[in-house]
Amino acid sequence: MKIRILRQTEPDGDAYWESFDYDGTREISVAALLDHLNYNDDIINDDGVKTTRIGWDRSCMQGMCGACAMVINEVPSLACDTFLNKLKGNTLTIRPLRKFPVIHDLIVDRSVIQENLKSTDVYIGEYNPKENEDHRHQYEVAKCLKCGLCMEVCPNYRGGESFYGAMFANDCYLVYARNRKKSADMKSTYADHFGRTCSKSLSCMDVCPMNIPMIASMAKLNR
Amino acid sequence: MKNVLIIGSGISGLACAVKCAGLGLYATLISPVSSERSQSVMAAGGINAVTEECEEGDSVSCHIEDTLRGGARIGGKNAVTGLCEHAGDIIRYLEGIGTVFSVDSNGRPMIRAFGGQSFKRTHYCGSSTGKQIVSALIMEARRYEADGLIERKLRLDFHSALIKDWECFGALLYDEKKRLLVPFYADALVMATGGQNALFGKTTGTCLCDGYAAGKLFMQGADLKNLEFIQFHPTTLETAQKKMLISEAVRGEGGRLFYEDGGKRIYFMEDKYGPKGNLQTRDLVSREINNIGRDVYLDISFLDKKQIDVKLPEVRDLCRKYGGIDISQTPIPVAPAVHFFMGGIAVHLNHETNIKDLYAVGECASMYHGANRLGGNSLLAAIYSGWVAADDIFGRTENKTHPDFDRAIRNEEDKLTGLMSSKSSFSVIHIRDMLSDTMRKDMNMIRTESTLKEGIDDVDYLLSVAGQIWYDSSESTYTNYSLTGLLTLARAALTSALSRTESRGAHFRNDHPDMDDDYAFSTLISYDDGAYNTCLDKERVYEN
Ligand SMILES: Cc1cc2nc3c(=O)[nH]c(=O)nc-3n(C[C@H](O)[C@H](O)[C@H](O)COP(=O)(O)OP(=O)(O)OC[C@H]3O[C@@H](n4cnc5c(N)ncnc54)[C@H](O)[C@@H]3O)c2cc1C
Ligand code: SF4
Repeated sequence: MKIRILRQTEPDGDAYWESFDYDGTREISVAALLDHLNYNDDIINDDGVKTTRIGWDRSCMQGMCGACAMVINEVPSLACDTFLNKLKGNTLTIRPLRKFPVIHDLIVDRSVIQENLKSTDVYIGEYNPKENEDHRHQYEVAKCLKCGLCMEVCPNYRGGESFYGAMFANDCYLVYARNRKKSADMKSTYADHFGRTCSKSLSCMDVCPMNIPMIASMAKLNR
Repeated sequence: MKNVLIIGSGISGLACAVKCAGLGLYATLISPVSSERSQSVMAAGGINAVTEECEEGDSVSCHIEDTLRGGARIGGKNAVTGLCEHAGDIIRYLEGIGTVFSVDSNGRPMIRAFGGQSFKRTHYCGSSTGKQIVSALIMEARRYEADGLIERKLRLDFHSALIKDWECFGALLYDEKKRLLVPFYADALVMATGGQNALFGKTTGTCLCDGYAAGKLFMQGADLKNLEFIQFHPTTLETAQKKMLISEAVRGEGGRLFYEDGGKRIYFMEDKYGPKGNLQTRDLVSREINNIGRDVYLDISFLDKKQIDVKLPEVRDLCRKYGGIDISQTPIPVAPAVHFFMGGIAVHLNHETNIKDLYAVGECASMYHGANRLGGNSLLAAIYSGWVAADDIFGRTENKTHPDFDRAIRNEEDKLTGLMSSKSSFSVIHIRDMLSDTMRKDMNMIRTESTLKEGIDDVDYLLSVAGQIWYDSSESTYTNYSLTGLLTLARAALTSALSRTESRGAHFRNDHPDMDDDYAFSTLISYDDGAYNTCLDKERVYEN
């Protein structure tokens, strides 16, 4: 199997493709594969040349933290829960999320996610629920990993200047539902930075590793 | 206004920052990656507290007694009393900031049973308690960010504390983006760096908790405590990427442990301990599995598929995804793995270390859990300890001026530049691998004098070469400079385990299988220019 990885040494450096050969089991995840390439022995590319180890973010390694978000065969995915035997073909292409600045190889800077939530005061403050709150949906929404996959896949998300992506809609909904004093503000914040621009491609729902039904957040806030 | 620097943004670091800000202190929270990636998000089961929701007959004193008993009587009574007395407030606080607890039809938080407790008192948020708490605390941190009282900074790693004459003035950090060391001066430094997972390689937790900070502070003069007490979880699924925790709920639903002998299933726990054998404590089950010395399986396939879907959906999904196993058809191969560290940085009741203005909170500190932790008590301790440290810092009057650290910092910069400009094909990762092999072999759940001594010899050898291997430019700078701290911590843990010639809680010595009253105290270890000195805290200087 050929593994093609889009690499970049430094934040300002040029990106370049490097390929590796792999003929081990396909019963492993892309995360385990990256570990294997890095640490099985010296890391050798498909020209037989020793190269530098591949940089990537990881933490829980079981789909609970969102660290290892990257684009695998053109699909924004978590490396730890994407398995080789579920992928088609004999070539695997991995590149960093392109909507965020690259720090090193597959490591990107996702601080814009927090910055946007901060600048728009998306916080509950005090639990003061609206009546008829949808508890189940709030539970799902609060599981958001802030992984950025929904932003990567979204045709409307550029760099987070004014449209902030699906995770933003979810967090707005959480605040809207959990503190009725902020409900009105959240609706307009949502409209300014999500609702008015979203073209409802809903591709975010296809890639969300937590399977958060964003459409429910949108429906509640569009009401 | 006082400046507080907090290293680590899991639940304990977040709780401390938010409390500091609430008191009007200015808190800077640093970590390499955001709170969403901390180990705290993995905590599934719940958080203990006696509240109005609890069963009749339960009381705070009962929670205290369960905790002290679970910790095999070396936890401090005052410390544990403080923890349990504040537990109800903590649940109310978490509710008040909007944590999505599992609630009953009246909107009141629900409780479940957890091992080692006389009553049901574990409050939970579905199967993602830690994650839900982190989400709520992040929102609170954001609220104070808007007020300018909290700043959260990413891509920064702890390098060392800025200490002079047993007083701390902040920390030296490694900036991953600028690729250089930066000093950060503060009136107080709070460590919230989590457990020591990396000593053992793959564990149930995250590789970001490596124990380096504890090891480095130890080398800088901080005492460590109870390092020999490491909790193993009996049922984990080994995969190519990690050891995944298979929840106790499987055994709670009737799951049976067995091994195969000549095609026959031997239900060894039931054979030895009767019908409830599979539900014995984590330590005991772990040791029994270890003693079997062959592949052990956990079977729940006899349960109706619908029941599995309703009662064990997370376990079903995890086994299917990561192990390719349909648990309604096939038993799960399981093995014990490192899960939680009761030991860590020694702290007094106010969570300050033996170095003035240096604090430690959460799993990186050793407090409350004694020789063994009750499930659900560590999330509680993470929040409570963050609060205690913040209150104590608030109570201090002075705004500090720091001495001149320029020379010391230049020295560290030179060392790092030297490390980075040298060339070697010998990877630090290989030394880390050798370390975790040693720890898994010699600091396993069953220990003897000879295995511990072998472990010490091995780690001493690794320490002797660590000074000679050079920078591996392929690895992150942090991975390189953290090696010596990790090895030193491992050496301290092995030394602590060797010094405790009895068995207690999670520490089991095959050559000293009984509990010995003379050892009913915490182990302290200090570092003096390469010497590792242990003693029992008989005066209960730290935890009383
Ligand atoms: C699978 C699993 C399930 C669990 N379930 C439960 C449960 O149900 N109930 C319960 O009470 N407990 C549970 N626990 C234990 C509990 O999750 C932890 O004890 C608790 O979350 C620790 O919180 P913390 O804030 O101390 O550390 P963590 O959440 O581990 O955070 C540590 C922080 O420090 C940072 N850090 C580490 N090293 C450095 C460094 N050198 N420089 C800078 N930053 C650094 C990390 O990036 C992170 O931000 C569970 C643990 C696991 C692994
Ligand atoms: S909504 Fe889903 S895809 Fe988007 S950041 Fe959250 S977890 Fe990731």
